Amino acid sequence: MTSISPADPSVPVLSPVDGRWSGQAEHDSLAARNCRLTPGEWLTVKVRRSEVPAGGDVYQAFQVPYQKWMRVLDALNWIAENAAADLAFRWFCGSKMCGTCAVRMNGREVLACWEAVEPNMVIEPLRNLPVIRDLVVDRSRYEDKVASLEPWIERREPYGEFPEPLTHKQMKDASKALDCISCMCCYSACPVIGLGNLTDFAGPAPLVQLGQTALDPRNDPEKVRRSLALTGIFDCVSCYKCEEVCPAHIPIVSRVIEPLKAKAAQLVPEMARHSFALRGIVARRGRVDPGELILRVQGLRALGNLRRILRLFARGKINPIKTILGIKTGAAEAAMRLLGNRAGRP
Amino acid sequence: MRFAYYPGCSARSTCAELNDATHLVASRLGLDLVQLESASCTGARELRAIDPAGFYALNVRILALAESHGLPLMTICNTCTLNVLDAHAAFVSDPELAASVNARLAEENLHYSGRTRISHFLWVLHEDIGEQRLRQQVVNPLAGLTVAAFYGCHITRPPGRYGFVDSRNNRALERLAEILGCLPIEYSGRTECCGFHTAAHDERVAIKLTGQHVLAAKAGGATAMVTPCPLCHTVLDSFQPEMEKDIDQKLDMPVLHLPQLVGLALGLSPEQLKIDRHMVPADVLDSYAATASPGLK
Repeated sequence: MTSISPADPSVPVLSPVDGRWSGQAEHDSLAARNCRLTPGEWLTVKVRRSEVPAGGDVYQAFQVPYQKWMRVLDALNWIAENAAADLAFRWFCGSKMCGTCAVRMNGREVLACWEAVEPNMVIEPLRNLPVIRDLVVDRSRYEDKVASLEPWIERREPYGEFPEPLTHKQMKDASKALDCISCMCCYSACPVIGLGNLTDFAGPAPLVQLGQTALDPRNDPEKVRRSLALTGIFDCVSCYKCEEVCPAHIPIVSRVIEPLKAKAAQLVPEMARHSFALRGIVARRGRVDPGELILRVQGLRALGNLRRILRLFARGKINPIKTILGIKTGAAEAAMRLLGNRAGRP
Repeated sequence: MRFAYYPGCSARSTCAELNDATHLVASRLGLDLVQLESASCTGARELRAIDPAGFYALNVRILALAESHGLPLMTICNTCTLNVLDAHAAFVSDPELAASVNARLAEENLHYSGRTRISHFLWVLHEDIGEQRLRQQVVNPLAGLTVAAFYGCHITRPPGRYGFVDSRNNRALERLAEILGCLPIEYSGRTECCGFHTAAHDERVAIKLTGQHVLAAKAGGATAMVTPCPLCHTVLDSFQPEMEKDIDQKLDMPVLHLPQLVGLALGLSPEQLKIDRHMVPADVLDSYAATASPGLK
């Protein structure tokens, strides 16, 4: 077989397709969604109900006439006024501020007051919180967690001067967290929270609430340490599901969770064992040796996975000799220079 | 078409077959890869959290190495891709950071100007090779092979980097699978998380999450899964026995690296592509390989 060179004139070159946005153009904008509907058109809205009549479906279907600029909330209000007066849902401000109207529309967390309707919608309550009725969830699990994290500022020293000097740079992450409207979209979207009590991960919404004060340089480090120790923050899988659904567009992972992890690494270093181990290995050897990483993070606990270790060894996926000898890679010199010869601690 | 090629740590250790398959497929496609031998780890998710200065230094250095060759950068790992993209974005938006990183890189005569184009192999296939050229190279269409595309997270989120309102709308892998002759299936796990990044300290999350994704792929009729990320591959493939134990159900789901699926369609054999190096046997794919008799297809 011959390889085709890009300069080969026999091959007509099509205009390139942008691979990283493939699928986005057709239907991935709110404007595109709205444009597909004309006033008077019927929407099919299936709402998950709590009280299901005998033989009925947990999803009750409604036909709703589309009006220009219709939001999910308008559709729910139309249903309550015209078809199901007993439908339970929450809303207050109707303008993306109070955070009470979040629901799942076609499997995605949205604010009902800010999301354009779609021709076919399945509306469900948020996940990961108990349902009180229909679309109304019990937020107390979240509120209790936030309260336990003591999300306020404590001062040991008196104010140095007034107004207290505080730079934009010092507040850049906390200010992002302060945009939170407590709508719980992220809490519903988080896959780790979705696993129930498997870990003690606090979840994105409580961490954002904590970030408002824990990332404030005026806060007492001892108090921040106490709060961070209760977060299980290193169980965040960095999937960015929370960021994807945040109606306030808070970069939750990069501007809240990661800065909080950095604080935890300073104040509660035992929580960041995995991070320090990885850093130490990269600094010494240039690249990650998976065997050494597991041994450093898990210690003797790693032997509990002896069967997998043997499987990996049999397929040549791990190399114990390299691990034991700590063989350096071609990147070791540069990594050592840029990260420093420290035992992983920043 | 030349690229500076950054394989990352995983493709140099637990997923060495990915690196080998990438080189083979690239050469078939006329891609000339200059492997960056002295490039370090990008720091996974750990370094960027606990040591941002170190994170920027290592990642900008990778971009500077590509620039020193005058070449765009090609990656094959989702997390590495997002790391270099994030470091690049921080570099070009913060002159103070840019100056301090360049000062450190100057010790080895490297300099980054902020102009390296960063592309994952998946995007290179769409953007640089292009559909038509790729179709011409498909000598062994994988007719009827049902595949479940598993994107993972860092190639489609965060929205601030990739622009998806809903990452589930990403179709880059399915479109590619169709070009190769496959039948991509729909299932709930496509753009979900494999849990790799907490697996070193608590693998239960990865096993629970990914078990559901593989189960959904199987229920959707997939013969195999394909992923553009070696970290996802490690969980999907190496942890499958633990997933089976957790859900008390056999999965037997072969998982291919993206270049391996492409390679099969380009006429390379499973042995050449080192598909036998995976934990879950992929014998079921033998009948789709170029060497199989046509009657088996």
